[in-house]
Amino acid sequence: MRIELSVNGNAIEVDVEPTTMLVDVLRDHVALTGPRVTCGVGLCGTCTVLLDGEPVSSCILMAPLALGKQITTIEGIPRDDEVVSCFDRQHAFQCGFCIPGMVLTAKNMVEHGTATSREQIREGLGGNLCRCGCYTKIVDAIEEAAR
Amino acid sequence: MSWQMPSTVDEALRLKADNPGATVIAGGTFLGILSGQGLLDNDEWISLQNISELKTLGTEGDLSVGAMVTHRRLELTPVVREDWPGLAQAFGVVASPRIRNVATIGGVLADADYASDPPSMLVASRAVAEVASVRGMRRVPIEDLIAGHYETTLADDELITRVVVPRPRGKGVYRKFRTRSREDRPTVAVAAAREDDRVRVVVGAVSDRPQHYADICAAWKPGDEDSAREIGAAYAEAIRCIGDGRGSAAYRRRVVGVEVRRVLMQVGP
Amino acid sequence: MTDARITADIRYSVDHKVPGMWHLRLVRAGIPAGTVTAIDATAVDDEVAVITPEDVLPHGKYGCQIADQHVLASEPKYLGDPVVAVVAATEKAARQAAAAIDVRYETSPAVFDELEAVQPSAPLVHAAHVTSNSDSAYFEMRPQDGTNVCHHFRIRTPGLRGRHEPNLLIDLPSPGDDRLADAFADADVVFEETFRTPAASHVPMEPHATVAEWVDGRLEVTTGTQTPFNLRQDLAVLFGLPAESVRVVAAPMGGSFGAKTFMRTEAIAAVAAKAVGRPVRCVLDRDEVFGEVTRHASTVRMRIGARRDGKFVAKQMLAYLNTGGYADCGPGVAQKMGYAGVGPYRFDHVAVDSYCAYTNLPPAGAFRGYGAMQSAWACERLVDMLADELRIDPVELRRMNLLRDGDAFCTGEIMRDTHFEELLDDVAKAVAWQDGRKGKGIAIMLKGMQTPSRAEAAIRSLPDGRFEVHSGTADMGQGSVEALTRIVADLLDVHPDRITVPCPDTDLVPYDTRTTSSRSTHMMSRALAEAARELRNGGTVGRGRIVNEGGLDPDTGEGIASSHWHQGAASAHVEIDDETGVIDVKTLYASSYAGTVVNRPAAELQNEGSMIMALGSSLFEEISYQDGQLVNPNLSDYNIASALDCASIQHRLMESPGAEVHGLGETAVPPVPPALGNAVASLGYRPRELPMSPERVLASRVDGRPAAR
Repeated sequence: MRIELSVNGNAIEVDVEPTTMLVDVLRDHVALTGPRVTCGVGLCGTCTVLLDGEPVSSCILMAPLALGKQITTIEGIPRDDEVVSCFDRQHAFQCGFCIPGMVLTAKNMVEHGTATSREQIREGLGGNLCRCGCYTKIVDAIEEAAR
Repeated sequence: MSWQMPSTVDEALRLKADNPGATVIAGGTFLGILSGQGLLDNDEWISLQNISELKTLGTEGDLSVGAMVTHRRLELTPVVREDWPGLAQAFGVVASPRIRNVATIGGVLADADYASDPPSMLVASRAVAEVASVRGMRRVPIEDLIAGHYETTLADDELITRVVVPRPRGKGVYRKFRTRSREDRPTVAVAAAREDDRVRVVVGAVSDRPQHYADICAAWKPGDEDSAREIGAAYAEAIRCIGDGRGSAAYRRRVVGVEVRRVLMQVGP
Repeated sequence: MTDARITADIRYSVDHKVPGMWHLRLVRAGIPAGTVTAIDATAVDDEVAVITPEDVLPHGKYGCQIADQHVLASEPKYLGDPVVAVVAATEKAARQAAAAIDVRYETSPAVFDELEAVQPSAPLVHAAHVTSNSDSAYFEMRPQDGTNVCHHFRIRTPGLRGRHEPNLLIDLPSPGDDRLADAFADADVVFEETFRTPAASHVPMEPHATVAEWVDGRLEVTTGTQTPFNLRQDLAVLFGLPAESVRVVAAPMGGSFGAKTFMRTEAIAAVAAKAVGRPVRCVLDRDEVFGEVTRHASTVRMRIGARRDGKFVAKQMLAYLNTGGYADCGPGVAQKMGYAGVGPYRFDHVAVDSYCAYTNLPPAGAFRGYGAMQSAWACERLVDMLADELRIDPVELRRMNLLRDGDAFCTGEIMRDTHFEELLDDVAKAVAWQDGRKGKGIAIMLKGMQTPSRAEAAIRSLPDGRFEVHSGTADMGQGSVEALTRIVADLLDVHPDRITVPCPDTDLVPYDTRTTSSRSTHMMSRALAEAARELRNGGTVGRGRIVNEGGLDPDTGEGIASSHWHQGAASAHVEIDDETGVIDVKTLYASSYAGTVVNRPAAELQNEGSMIMALGSSLFEEISYQDGQLVNPNLSDYNIASALDCASIQHRLMESPGAEVHGLGETAVPPVPPALGNAVASLGYRPRELPMSPERVLASRVDGRPAAR
């Protein structure tokens, strides 16, 4: 199936089986490494991308379901973005494998004004897991970005 | 492999009637997991993604939810939060915001996953699904729609097009009891919807489908702790619980009694 | 510059791809024990290479401590043991081929539980035990032939040595027939209990990923590994090559926690690359990561004797580690678990028997905490039980018996730079211990560092005025590049922008034992100090080399267990829903001795991360098996802690001016479960087994009946 996707503002045309997951399209056909596969069942958030600004799990999203939507990966976020800077300033990362997903989720929270308290931020990070255990600093970073 | 994207319900129904073996995909979270894990292998797909009439949400009178309305929308729409708070709550605790952004009400009912949060609240709320096919439309209460583990009473050519939830006549509460991470699926799910001085208690996640016992609920005295305890004990006695990594059958039975009592105290007096 | 980890400008091992590479999939045993009788690959396409156990037989056996593993198993030792490999041009083709292969088996009896495995009647997982020639077998192994015990580590303090004792104890001997009974002669109270911990998964977010390639007769492997030099040696031996003919590049890892140590998928990837004459990539699926290597399940029987006034007299411990079908570094874990179980206390007599036992489960190996978590759980729960018995405050009972500078540990080594009492006071204060102890618990522990150990490093001055740091320290997420950069910038007094740290490449960097046991910052900082000194004396390269001697006698435990000690304590305040057993953690606090901190945020993250992982181990993390089948190898059925689970966490890095750098990667893991367990116990429960699931909590009620209302 030939599908045209909009990835980070660029039109991308790929020929894939319709059941190909969006994360595989992004990694294998668009050569982006920001979206990652960890759990493969939509639970952990390392595959997070934004679809029209809303976070989704790209490891369980069949690629055609993203037709007509703006797909944003970490590579599409400016390097000087405020949320990115806050993660850097707060040293909110260790291995970093989960961090692009965290940043994208955080951007959505900050933009919707749903990062008003530490508890609300923790709720909003639902399904974004970090095995290194950087949560405290990640919450610090999002709190700073929301100010 | 084919991926068809009809733009009207009628077109979708015709496609499904012509090819009952095709898999209908709504939000695609559950099917995405199955397909990704190699548990579902189908070459023909009918996606509802372009059918705008399935994305409408009506809040005048009863709540009328198109099958493609996402969990997130039900969780966040102010009038739903205001007028159907128990329902907004149940949809708001499903998995993560990422899943709720994609997963739909039609999808969660068609999956009939025993541990999903919304079904028990929908049953408690007397929700009715509108089920359509080229043969016509029928209205199916949710308790009659979900038949067992991942099993529904939908015929091969039928689609859920809409879910209608009556306006609550009292408080609705959904309690998600977890034994592990706070992001775990429920070990025991309890939904209660009050209807004046009566109540509908539905227990999910402990067996193949939501469990509701009108006869047991009939004994309820609002705000009375003894009555709540007795109903809890009767539910625990009546349900044949499953056991898994989240809790043994015996433990679930115990928690059903506790959680039913608690939910009744929450919706009373 | 924004850190590359935030913006995905970093390339992990799973991002490493080589043009023309093929893909490897493993066919795994469907039985827990037995023999492969037939492999039918007729349904596989001709273009797919199929590698069978017979093909890898000439390579012989490997193993970091016991040579017990073939590259593919003809006699699988666990359900999931790789028996066939397929290599194809695409991942999809490799998957299809793997599914098309039919393997037939003859099954033999299997054993799964560590206590059953040490029974005389247990089926033998391996017929014989051969110590590995690898550098990672750094102490004498004591396999017990004719049993499933591949290593038996013993501690006998001087008064208990030279007695005729059985080689294998299955139970604590009753006082009457105990050859060590006199050890407890001065004790007024003798108390004993059995504790259990389950297998657990490291769950690195990034799976194991390897690319192997043969270039002009040399083997080149790019892989996520904490042990590039051990891997180089073991691969060289497998292929009959000099070590210099193997190149291991340790790509940055998306987490490891011990999962990516020693040989994992590198050997089969190398065999496959040779077979197809192309680079071969192997990436494990999540369920395979769960089964690749686990944390040792354990049973610990512990007896403690004390005088009425609280002074500890003697401790006896029997530890049984479930190392699964292959030993991996289980013998080393058994050793560290053995002495960590003694705890940071003075005893007149100590007798420890730590048994590393084979079973037909997936192999267990290095895991953050390295055995100390399992034995600290037993040690610290038992101290609290004793305190109850003696009616002495648990903090005061510990204080009375803590090791202080100048005291001898059970290994005979004299302790220095001890901070146990400060740590104890700090964690007690954090939960307002003085205001009543309902719902509160504390625990303290010591954990050793890899000893003996050797670190080498070089600093090269580049023509453009920058400095390149050559170090074998692998970056698994702990931030070694950052730490090395800061250390060298400080040593040379230059801006960090002028320091560059390439990832460990055995062709480029000098030898390092491995990046484990929280040793790297401690060892490398000293090697780099030497290198910097040499560089300042002239030339373009400075080299440094640090060797820490030591090690323990496997029969007496005498020697140097650790060239420096990781010292940590934790406290907890909990509430329990007494109808459901659910634990609500109000406060979880850990205090770790850090000496001098190199990079504050990174050090804090190590402490927080350790606590969070240990919180999961305390409350819900557990690998479940049914007849040898791992039944929860996914993140839905195996939970790890989320942001919502750890809101209660606070901690402290205890510094000491001018002190040496202390590793922090694991210090806050072992004290957390017993601190929580002791807090739970203070509310009328008696937890002995991890994790403390609500159901187990209810079942452990002292009065035997869950609350009813």
